[in-house]
Amino acid sequence: MHSVVQALILGSLTGGVYALMASGQTLIFGIMKVINLAQGAFVIVASYLTFSLFQMTGLDPFLLIVITTPIMFILGAATQWFLLRPLRPDDAAELSLLVTFAVALGLEGALSIVYKTTLRSIMPGYENHSWTVWGYQVNEVRFYAFLLSIAMLGILYLLLQKTKFGRSVRATVQNPMSAQLLGVNSKAVSAFGFGLGVSTTAAAGAVFGLITPFNPGSHYDLISRLLTIVVLGGMGAIGGSVIAALIMGVGAALVSALSAPIWADFTFFIVLLLVLLLRPRGLFGAKVRGAL
Amino acid sequence: MKLNTSKFLERRSTVAAAVAVTLVSTSLISTLGNAASAATKPLSIGVSLSLTGDFADSGTAAQKGYKLWVSDVNKKGGILGRQVSIKIVNDASSPDQVVTNYTNLITQSKVDIVMGPFSSLLTIPASRVAKRYGYSFIEPAGGGPKVFAEKNPNLFFVQPAATTKGGDVFADYILSLPASSRPKTAAYVKLDDPFAAPLADNIKARFEAAGIKTVYDQTYPSETADMTPVISGVAAKAPDVLVGGTQTADAFAQVKAMIQLKFNPKWLFLSNGASSPLEFPKAIGLKNTEGVFTSSDWYPKSTAPGTAAFIKAYIAMYGGTAALIDSTSAEAYSAGTLLELVAKKTGKIDNATIIKTLHTGSWPTLVGNLSWNAYGEPQGAYLLTQWIGGSLKTVFPTASAQHAPVAPKPAWVG
Repeated sequence: MHSVVQALILGSLTGGVYALMASGQTLIFGIMKVINLAQGAFVIVASYLTFSLFQMTGLDPFLLIVITTPIMFILGAATQWFLLRPLRPDDAAELSLLVTFAVALGLEGALSIVYKTTLRSIMPGYENHSWTVWGYQVNEVRFYAFLLSIAMLGILYLLLQKTKFGRSVRATVQNPMSAQLLGVNSKAVSAFGFGLGVSTTAAAGAVFGLITPFNPGSHYDLISRLLTIVVLGGMGAIGGSVIAALIMGVGAALVSALSAPIWADFTFFIVLLLVLLLRPRGLFGAKVRGAL
Repeated sequence: MKLNTSKFLERRSTVAAAVAVTLVSTSLISTLGNAASAATKPLSIGVSLSLTGDFADSGTAAQKGYKLWVSDVNKKGGILGRQVSIKIVNDASSPDQVVTNYTNLITQSKVDIVMGPFSSLLTIPASRVAKRYGYSFIEPAGGGPKVFAEKNPNLFFVQPAATTKGGDVFADYILSLPASSRPKTAAYVKLDDPFAAPLADNIKARFEAAGIKTVYDQTYPSETADMTPVISGVAAKAPDVLVGGTQTADAFAQVKAMIQLKFNPKWLFLSNGASSPLEFPKAIGLKNTEGVFTSSDWYPKSTAPGTAAFIKAYIAMYGGTAALIDSTSAEAYSAGTLLELVAKKTGKIDNATIIKTLHTGSWPTLVGNLSWNAYGEPQGAYLLTQWIGGSLKTVFPTASAQHAPVAPKPAWVG
């Protein structure tokens, strides 16, 4: 029983970390319909940024998120403006896949040159601390990441549902031409939305660098998880990605701790397959997905 | 019409003789010329290394070792009076590119000798190319079982033993303890990898035969970034000794997970990852390294002859400190040393001589005294090293020990 509860705790906390990473992907992939294969690479860029800034300033990595967020925003917005915007609208969906994959490889290459492929860790001293609660270990960093991801997704939800910008984003995705006719600067909105999605990697990168050693190639594992979380949660459903990340984290932890770790990730994909077979729009996806 | 045949024949034989003399003399001159230039032209060595891609760090470390050896041997006057030149090409960690590279090195660049790339993955296809062209293949970094399963008599692996036997020395140490102080229970946590898992399995076989009970034995896939669930499964079984069949990232992740879960086994052996004097402390924090066992062939505090000179030359060429030297650099350097030794012993340096000569005797290098079976598998053993006082020290076998083994393992610092 102790093992089950400990696995549930570990899984939920890991799920929280992935939810944090998937929050930006939910906006870009789930709402703006751009398949951004570079999101994992942006997370790693943010991990390195945090790593370097921490080495230089000694400031707390969570505090550094305030500095790295605007940097990641600019990087994201620039990627959209210079690389995705020029794509012909008819082919944009397919080509964005290639362009963002190229961006991911480019970022990986650049990071390899600057930082080499040595594994790095951000070590402020508390990265491995755990609270012992009734005999169970609760890792501090993952707990903070969990809270951050809830906050981040809450902000995204409010932004999309309650602000003029949110309405502009949704209008632009539905029909860019009509949105423009109604006075929405859809080009700027797209760049801003993409930048916003990428800016969430600042927090995700800091947390990722604290909990696991990383190198420039770490983004491959990340991106497959991020995309599946968004698909499982349901396109456009912000809350869905939290639930999906938790399913992934808890499922993997239970299988790893109680059965065989070799099946841990496989289990998640079985769940994903079943959900897509029974409910193709994902757990919480909107029914009229095509009309979004 | 009558043909003046005799005159014709006479004329023909004169022409033939002239042609023959010209041909003979030309070839004689050319042969003599070749012979003269063979003795003085540089001895060219070709190597393909992973300077980019997955193995870039290790590939670069091997490059440093090779280049340092070339510089050292040339300072000593070269091999048999010939200066040594090395051509290093990048295979980007690709098994396809490595085949192209060695084929080009042998057929286009016409190098005299080729030496090995980094990793078993690349060594296997590369060694086939070398064998096809009758080249010897001294290689510093391909020690997996599949390398020796190739049954390539031209191949010589420049480490003390096959990689999967890297943990045997830990089993030797544990089983050397009096029965009352040995661990009673053991856990094996293995990466799904052709080196890491068999290495741990070899230890397990020895432990089980000695009555150490297996309480946990699981393999995890290479994409497992988070080891906490796995380690929580191990911690629930509270084993005395944990044997981690690890590579690099997963070794660090295992340690982080143990710290986070406050699980501290009495003995912790990690096959790889912990053997890196540079990366291990960077990834988990120097304080947390204390008491972790691993096995090594070369490390900065090694007592192998030539180590001090190697470290001095390395720092002179690349800067930094001894602690920053990767064992791969020493292994690549040792690969070069073998060429020097063969030339010294035989007075010749060609592929057939290298292959024939290395198959007998024992060869002293930075990574120990090497000898091989018919297919290049080294017949020695690794050293058991342990992180003590912030650096790796040899703790077993006792004859080479720099420090007594520290057990039980001190608590994690956090």
